[in-house]
Amino acid sequence: MIWLTWRQHRKQALVTLLGLAALAAFVVPSGLAMRHAYRTLGAAEFSDAYGSWALVSVLFLVLPLLLGLFWGAPVIAREVEQGTHRMIWTQGISRRHWALAKAGLLGGAVTVLALVYGLGLAWWYWPLGQVDPRETRFAAVFFDMQGVAPVGYTVFAVALGVFAGTVLPKVLPAMAMTLAGFVGVRLAVALFARPHYLAPVAVDQLVQGSSGPPRGALAGSWVLAKEVRRADGTFVTSGTLRCPSTGACAGGNELGPGAYNHQIIQPGDRFWAFQWIELGIFVALAAVLVWLAVRRVRRIA
Amino acid sequence: MENVLEADGLGKRYGGRWALRDTTFRLPAGRVAALVGPNGAGKSTLLHLAVGLVRPDAGTVRAFGAAPYENVATLADIGFVAQDTPVYRDFTADELVRMGGKVNRRWDATLARTRLAQLGIPPRKPVGKLSGGQRAQVALALAVAKRPRLLLLDEPVASLDPLARREFLRSLMGSVAESGTTVLLSSHILADLERSCDYLTLLQGGQVRLCGDVDEIVAGHLRAVGPRDRRPAGTVIRERHTDRQSTLLMRTDVPILDPAWTVHELSLEELILAYLDDRDDRDGRANHEAWGVAA
Repeated sequence: MIWLTWRQHRKQALVTLLGLAALAAFVVPSGLAMRHAYRTLGAAEFSDAYGSWALVSVLFLVLPLLLGLFWGAPVIAREVEQGTHRMIWTQGISRRHWALAKAGLLGGAVTVLALVYGLGLAWWYWPLGQVDPRETRFAAVFFDMQGVAPVGYTVFAVALGVFAGTVLPKVLPAMAMTLAGFVGVRLAVALFARPHYLAPVAVDQLVQGSSGPPRGALAGSWVLAKEVRRADGTFVTSGTLRCPSTGACAGGNELGPGAYNHQIIQPGDRFWAFQWIELGIFVALAAVLVWLAVRRVRRIA
Repeated sequence: MENVLEADGLGKRYGGRWALRDTTFRLPAGRVAALVGPNGAGKSTLLHLAVGLVRPDAGTVRAFGAAPYENVATLADIGFVAQDTPVYRDFTADELVRMGGKVNRRWDATLARTRLAQLGIPPRKPVGKLSGGQRAQVALALAVAKRPRLLLLDEPVASLDPLARREFLRSLMGSVAESGTTVLLSSHILADLERSCDYLTLLQGGQVRLCGDVDEIVAGHLRAVGPRDRRPAGTVIRERHTDRQSTLLMRTDVPILDPAWTVHELSLEELILAYLDDRDDRDGRANHEAWGVAA
């Protein structure tokens, strides 16, 4: 099975490695340059020079999806589309054996790829994450590109592709299902589940004297909700209002003394806890999908 | 005689439709059997059940006395060539032979290579670039290299031209004659079967209509032509009438002595066609309604 799996997938393995090499050719030099600039330039200069690169990095979010589409979806869908499942599943090994060997070998390869890609990008992104404290590494989209989360996304995308291939016996529809499923699940998790991984914290900070970069618990935190309140706690407006400790401040003076910003946040030091939870969720989803796919393989004729 | 393949009350349903229903038949060892029927009669379903690709919804099927579904031991004794002779098209023939060795415990790679060499199949060309006949030969060589005791072939010659068809059947017959392998071969190309098969299973509408030794079946039927107003004794299977004359497909259980009737022997092909020629009138009418035209 090892030889067969290699023989069947060597072409896409080669293409993937070429793609990764091309990516590395961009990421490694630019990452080194960025780190050098970060050490030598001031924060403002660095931000001017490299701030826009954070947007480039958004493109990297689609890479796990590409692996799901081109590695995951064809594994079973192509066999069924070309009828070769009737050839390979009537040889002297059981379908379970076939499915588990394929899942293990391809899953292992994909995990290694995902580790290299995910950790490499996290390394590349690190200086950018320090640029603008409000654009913390915890913010949506940027959280998704770093640490261990991309590993989870990649494994999940491939498992989803394989499962889609057992439901839709043609490659193209299976790819479409992978695309829709991946985007849907990723959005659902990011929007609805992630804010609640751990109980959020409320932070109150006086409007007076709150200008300047966020301090204390707010530094590097992920702000889920923010509103301005009067001293007695009545709601004024959503958003934040920052005023220097002395002197006039537009809007600040009418509120009276003691007005404060009420913010619901996930503190910045929870970043890694959230990364591991995110990874856990997607790896668990991938495991369920693989299990379902192996089950379904036994019913396909 | 030992039966290689046995089905009892076998049924398989796809959605609400029974592709095969209440099928009972036996395939004795050492036979080359034809599985015949119109499209959609359940031939592929029956073969898929026999090779364990699907699980029956009713009844049982046994190959060498064991249920074949998810049964690796039984699978090792069955060689199967699926419809359209699927093989990995980007593999070369040589790689396919190598693959067979990896996924089978018993594998005669020399046999496969010898066959393919004799047939002039190039070893290092992707099989997707071979002709349909050559690809079918590769698929057959892979099935034979398992040294199976039962060989199941699902319309292996359907897409081949007459020359490739004859070549394929000749090489099939050559290899099973040496090994004594039992063969079940589905097809709707009747002329080929008459030459190569000695056992017949006729499927129609998901049910077995006829099953047995070809010679016995042929000897057991006749065509009688005679006057419309009279009817000979014996079992009539199909009848067709003109104004004055009747043509009957009959069993030869009772001799026809009435001189008004002329009796003809039937070839296997004529016999099968006569059996299959009973379009159901009700179906016909329903379909006319579906088309919105008068029946």
